[in-house]
Amino acid sequence: MNFKLISDVAIALLMARWRQTLIAATGVTFSITMFVTLLGFMHGLNDLLDGLILNRTPHIKIYNEVKPTAIQPVQVATDTTESYHFIRRIKPGAGRTSLYNVDKIRQTLLQDERVLGLAPKIIVQAFYTVGSIDITGVINGIDVEAESQLFHFRDYVTTGDPMALIQTPNSIILGKAAAERMLAEIGDVIQVTTVTGERQQLKVVGYFQSGLLDIDKVQNYTALHTAQKLLGEPKSYITDLQVKLKDLNLAPETGREYSRIFQVDVEDIQTANAQFETGSNVRSIISYAVGITLLIVSGFGIYNILNMMIYEKMDSIAILKATGFSGSDVKRIFIFIALSIGIVGSVVGLGTGFLLSSLIDQVPFDTPALPRIKTFPINYSPKFYLIGVTFGIVTTYFAGYFPARKASQIDPVVIIRGK
Amino acid sequence: MPDTVIEARNINKYFQGAQRHHALKDISFSIRKGEFTSIVGKSGCGKSTLLYILSTMDTDYEGELLIDGQSMRLRTEAELARIRNEKIGFVFQFHYLLNEFSVLKNVMIPGLKLGRLSEKELEHKAMEKLHIFEIEDQALKKPNQLSGGQKQRVAIARALINDPLILMGDEPTGNLDKRNGEIVFNLFQKLGRDLNQTLLIVTHDPEFANATDRIIEMDDGWII
Repeated sequence: MNFKLISDVAIALLMARWRQTLIAATGVTFSITMFVTLLGFMHGLNDLLDGLILNRTPHIKIYNEVKPTAIQPVQVATDTTESYHFIRRIKPGAGRTSLYNVDKIRQTLLQDERVLGLAPKIIVQAFYTVGSIDITGVINGIDVEAESQLFHFRDYVTTGDPMALIQTPNSIILGKAAAERMLAEIGDVIQVTTVTGERQQLKVVGYFQSGLLDIDKVQNYTALHTAQKLLGEPKSYITDLQVKLKDLNLAPETGREYSRIFQVDVEDIQTANAQFETGSNVRSIISYAVGITLLIVSGFGIYNILNMMIYEKMDSIAILKATGFSGSDVKRIFIFIALSIGIVGSVVGLGTGFLLSSLIDQVPFDTPALPRIKTFPINYSPKFYLIGVTFGIVTTYFAGYFPARKASQIDPVVIIRGK
Repeated sequence: MPDTVIEARNINKYFQGAQRHHALKDISFSIRKGEFTSIVGKSGCGKSTLLYILSTMDTDYEGELLIDGQSMRLRTEAELARIRNEKIGFVFQFHYLLNEFSVLKNVMIPGLKLGRLSEKELEHKAMEKLHIFEIEDQALKKPNQLSGGQKQRVAIARALINDPLILMGDEPTGNLDKRNGEIVFNLFQKLGRDLNQTLLIVTHDPEFANATDRIIEMDDGWII
C-alpha cells in the first residue's frame, strides 16, 4: 500500500550512500558476469567434446553380429527328456554379416514417428598395399548425403569434397593420419585388398579428420556402390543401418523393439558410450559451484554495506518508527534497497556476461585435432542467464534480509534517549 | 468522558539492571482535549520515561494506558505504529529530520505513511503547517541548510501533519539557544491557545511550565 513511500525512502538512503551502493552492485554484476560466462564457456566445451563422439554415433545401430546360433540343431533334433547332449567349443558359422530384407526394414523405419532419419553403411575390412607392406584399415561404404545430413560427415572432410565420392567412380576419402602413413596425396591411386582377396585401385579424393587420432588412422570412406563392388556384392548388400532418433533418450527402448521386430542385433548410443555423460556432468557441477560461490561472496558485500547503512542511519530509522513506520515497513525499506542493488547488478551482469562470452567466442582456438573449431566454443543457452539472475536476486534478498530484520528491531526509545 | 484524550491508570515501570529500579510508581492521570499540560521534575525523576510510555514507543510497563478511549495493551507492534502515526505527534529534543529529503517532504512523510490524503493535498497541507511556523519559504531546502530553530519548527510541523489528537514534546526547547527557544515556546503557546491543540510537554524550564494550563510535577517516579 505504501510502496511508493517505501521506495522513496529506500532510494533516498541509496543515493545518500551511492558510492557503496555502486560498489555492491558492481560486485553483483561481476559475479553474474562470471557465472554466465563460465557456464556458457564450460557448456560450450562440453557440447564440443560430446559432439566429437555423439554427433557421429548413431542413436541406434542395426547390424548382424557374427555369433553362434543360440539354439543349436542338436537341441531341436533330439528329444531331451530321455537323453542329454553336451556341446563344447561352439564356433560361429559362416553366417552373413549383411542385413536381411534391408529395403523392408528401411521402409518401416522411415514411417516410424520417432525416427529422424537413417543412413545405411557397409563396413569392409581391408589392407592397403603400400610398396611391399600392407597396412590394415576399415573402409566404410556410406550414403554420402544421408551421412552428411545426420552425422555431419561433411564437417569432418577437411580437404576435398565429399560429393566427389559419388561423382568419381572408385574413389576414396582417407583418414588424415592414414593418408600420412601411406604418403597418399589427393589424386593418387592406392591399392586396396579386401579380406576375401579382391583387389581394387581407388583414387584419393579427400581427407577426413575427426579429431580422434585412432579413428583417423584406420577409418576411410567410400560410396556405398564402390564398397559393394569391392566386395562383389549386389546393391541390396548393407551391413549396418544407422538410425538417428528425434529424442536420443528413447534409444534403448526403441532399439529393443527393433531387435524384436526385425530379428537383428542393435546397439544403442547409451550402451555404446555409457561413461560419456559422467565427464560432462562433473564439469557442469564444478562450474555451477564456482559461479554460485561468486554470487554468495557478492552477497556478503551487500550484507556489509547494508549493515553499515543501518548503523549510520540509526537516527533516521528511529524517527521513522516514532512517526508511525512499523518494523515491517522498515524491513521492507532495507529489502527494497538490497533487491534494487541485486536486480540492477544482475541485469547489468547478464549484459556484460553476454558481451564477455561473445568476446571469448572471438578468441581463435586452432587445434589440428578439431578442424571444425576456429574459436572457443560458447553455449548461449538462456538457461544460464535465467539461473544467474534468479540466484543473483535470491542471494541479494537473503543478504538484505538479515540486516533488514535487525533494522526493524531497532527500538526508537533506546536511540533517542541515548542522545 | 468522551473528551479524554489520554489516560494512564496505575502505570508502573521497572528498569532491569544489576538492581531492579522502580522508575515509575503508580502513575494515574488523564488529559482532556485542548489541554496544554507540562510535566516538570528533576533530571532522572522519570518524566521522559513516562512520556515514552504514553507515546506507545515503550511497551514494557505495568498498568493501563488508554488513548482515545482504547486500551494500548496487547496491541501488535504494527497497530501501535499506526496509532502513533495517526493520533500522536512527537517532538524530540533533537530535530531528527532526514537530510536526504527536502523540508517539505520531511513534513509530508508521516502523512504519506498514513495514506489518507493524496500527495497533492498533503503537499498543500504541509505548506499550510509550514506557514503557521513562518518557514514556508524554506520548504524546498534540505534540513542541513536550516538553522537549529528552523529545524525544530520543521520537526513540529511534521508532528502536526496528521492532525494528531495530542502533540507530545520531550524538552523541545532543550537544545536551542534562548532566542530560538522563545520562538519555539511561543509557537507552542499559539498552538495551545489559538488552535486548541492538546499538548503534553516535558520540560525542566519553570518559565515554560508556568505558561501552561496544567503542571504535572514528578519526583522519584511519583506524581506530586
